[in-house]
Amino acid sequence: MTSRLEGDAAIIYPKGYLNNLSGESLVIECGIYIGKGITKIIVNFSETDLINSIGISMLLQIMEDLKNIKGTICCTNMSKFLRDTFEMLGLIQHMLVFPVESDALKYLKARKS
Amino acid sequence: MSTKLEKALYNISALADLGQAITSENDFHEKIQSLLYVITGTFLANKGAILFYDKSTNRLNTSTQKGFAQADLDRLNPEELMSLGRNEPCLIGNDPVLAVAGAEVLAPMWVRHDFIGALLLSGKLTVGPYTPGDLELLSVIANQIAIALNNHTLFMDLSDKLEDNRRLYEEMRRIYHGTLQAFAAAIDAKDAYTKNHSHRVAKYSVAIARELGWNEHEIEGMYVAGYLHDVGKLAISNALLNKVTPFTPEEREEIRKHSTLSHNITSKIKFPWKNVEDMVWHHHERLDGRGYPDALAQESLSDGVRILTLADSFDAMTSQRPYRKKMDVQSAIAELRKNLDSQFDNKVMLVFCKVLAKEIKGELPEPDILPHLDRDSDLSVITDLLEGIIAELSTP
Repeated sequence: MTSRLEGDAAIIYPKGYLNNLSGESLVIECGIYIGKGITKIIVNFSETDLINSIGISMLLQIMEDLKNIKGTICCTNMSKFLRDTFEMLGLIQHMLVFPVESDALKYLKARKS
Repeated sequence: MSTKLEKALYNISALADLGQAITSENDFHEKIQSLLYVITGTFLANKGAILFYDKSTNRLNTSTQKGFAQADLDRLNPEELMSLGRNEPCLIGNDPVLAVAGAEVLAPMWVRHDFIGALLLSGKLTVGPYTPGDLELLSVIANQIAIALNNHTLFMDLSDKLEDNRRLYEEMRRIYHGTLQAFAAAIDAKDAYTKNHSHRVAKYSVAIARELGWNEHEIEGMYVAGYLHDVGKLAISNALLNKVTPFTPEEREEIRKHSTLSHNITSKIKFPWKNVEDMVWHHHERLDGRGYPDALAQESLSDGVRILTLADSFDAMTSQRPYRKKMDVQSAIAELRKNLDSQFDNKVMLVFCKVLAKEIKGELPEPDILPHLDRDSDLSVITDLLEGIIAELSTP
């Protein structure tokens, strides 16, 4: 899992199958940024093919953590499978979804101004 | 693909995740935590708990939980939950007994007639209610988790019992060895000149057996035979055992009865080791068939008998006797060497020399032979002698 900071937003790139292990790393990575005072997180799913129920649970955890600090989560570059899964679960209504990372960054910047 | 079908596929894959979490090699706590993640991920619940019923305290313990106030979970009364359906999730609604802040659905978990604990979930992130389909799926999940928790309890109970048995076995073993040593002390007390003889013979025999590569069970049998080989002397008169002047032929015959007496005594005991009775019976036999009581020779003599014979003779030679002075160590080794083929076994002698040489060089952390030898012995002379014999006996 890699991540970077762009302005006041953290961008995280989970890799492969989002399950127990990678899901926990995602939660930890987000936790580190939240601990540093970052409230805007972009999860770029371009390198994520699949997600299971544990991965969903981890994502819920991040959404909950950000909600508690009035933060924002943006999801970008989702495959059709991922998007369909989030839609079917009704999860998509509780997150901001953008086709690509740059759109999410633009949105967050605009919201700031 | 229709949403209904997609949802069904997602539920099936959630059940597969559940199976994977249950059968994973993770430790129990990690496993339970994964199970909770599967459930919260399946139902999009941001709070969840798996509670485990402790029969001994009649309390529900929290195995893992996320989002609930622990005090609320602690207030749940197991008996109230037992009266609900078995593995049938129920909506908490406004039930004051089941009320846990933020909880919306509760599934009591059972395996056959045993109450195992409960599953607790908050409302869904999507706010919608739990559908009959959700409750049906949760029922399947509760069933699986109940079995996993029950298996864990059974396994822990078995592990505890195994540990208790192991402790009991060790205790019995200690008592057994204490009894053996008391027996040996009684044997040796009859003859002032053979004090600790049984103990030393047991030690020497064990050292040889271990060097020969015997397993721990066989070595223990050898140790017991070493301790009991002279138990028949308890039936021989003290006066005869401590006689200073040479034995008459009749007295020699009487003394020689001790190995058969040792056999008669030990054969009454059901030893868990093979051949203890045989070893004590024949520890005065010789390879050339001139020993007693049965004048057995060569193939009729087991390795255990051959070890015990050499260990017994070596200790007898290096101990003071009423009718002769003790030999120094190198003379005793030379005497063993002289009687190879006729009395002592080459292989056993080679191993005895090797183990003693190792002990002298400090290569064995817990020496069995060296501490019992004469402190005035010249170890360099003994080492030269041992190495000569080792070289000779190692040559094909």
